[in-house]
Amino acid sequence: MRWQLRRRTRPVQRNNKIFVSGQWLRQAAILVLLAFAPAIGEAIYFRDKISWQSPIPPSELVTVDQARAWGENAIWVDARPDEEFARDHVPGAVSLNEDRWNDLLQQFLPNWSPDKKVVVYCSAESCNAAREVAKRLRDEAQLKDGEGKNCVFVLQGGWEEWLKKNR
Amino acid sequence: MAKSFVWWIVDVIVGGVFIYAGVIKVLDPIQFGIDIDNYKILPWFISVRLAFYLPWLEIFCGVALIFRFLYRGGLSILAALTSVFIIATIAAKVRGLDITCGCFGHASKNWSFSTHLVLDLAILVALVALSFRVASGNRPQTAV
Repeated sequence: MRWQLRRRTRPVQRNNKIFVSGQWLRQAAILVLLAFAPAIGEAIYFRDKISWQSPIPPSELVTVDQARAWGENAIWVDARPDEEFARDHVPGAVSLNEDRWNDLLQQFLPNWSPDKKVVVYCSAESCNAAREVAKRLRDEAQLKDGEGKNCVFVLQGGWEEWLKKNR
Repeated sequence: MAKSFVWWIVDVIVGGVFIYAGVIKVLDPIQFGIDIDNYKILPWFISVRLAFYLPWLEIFCGVALIFRFLYRGGLSILAALTSVFIIATIAAKVRGLDITCGCFGHASKNWSFSTHLVLDLAILVALVALSFRVASGNRPQTAV
């Protein structure tokens, strides 16, 4: 009798455990799948407004050679912290970093005019400062050229790339 | 009864936090993609795809918590997401990255590392407590 009871109860307990853990996983899987639908819809809506291969759209990037070719029509902006700017920087570059944004922006704006392109750089390809500063120059300072087009560019490879090409 | 109501309030608060965080990111997926990219853990082509997906997952899980529909699934996903986020934030700090987590859009832009960490840990503790409550049998009625 005791043996029979064991035989009856054990499989039931085991099945319950499987059911309980399976329920967590099954519900999680349903939610994971459900979230795909609006995400795909939104991605389709944004497909032309976002760069899928690089965080900075190619149209907002500039190489060292292209930027140098702009000569006097380009203003070089150093987005690195003050101490790195003080150590060394692109000749003629002005410092404009997010640590002292308001002060430095006031110093920068009188140097800029719509016929000038702005080349923003930070330490290397992987840094974010140039991207952030470029974005703020476009969004907050509303920098655009005479035709209303973008005039703020991020230097590809940043300061490291400039050093490679110039030293 | 009163206890059950208190737990439901916890569900609503935690769920509401994730819905709010998700909606803010849904409105600006590009910025969220940049925020993920700032952690320097994933390549951009993955970060940008996650930027479209994760906010909706947060919203769905938040709704699941509030309405107690797919409740266990919502709890497990949110606990996993929060844990991953806490680890990524600490890793970024250790690597000396100056990151903006972007969890709550511009509202959290100037939050310090410790503020982020305390908030995330509080959310994780709440999620773990809710999970234990369900696992121990004091489960709310769920539809699935």
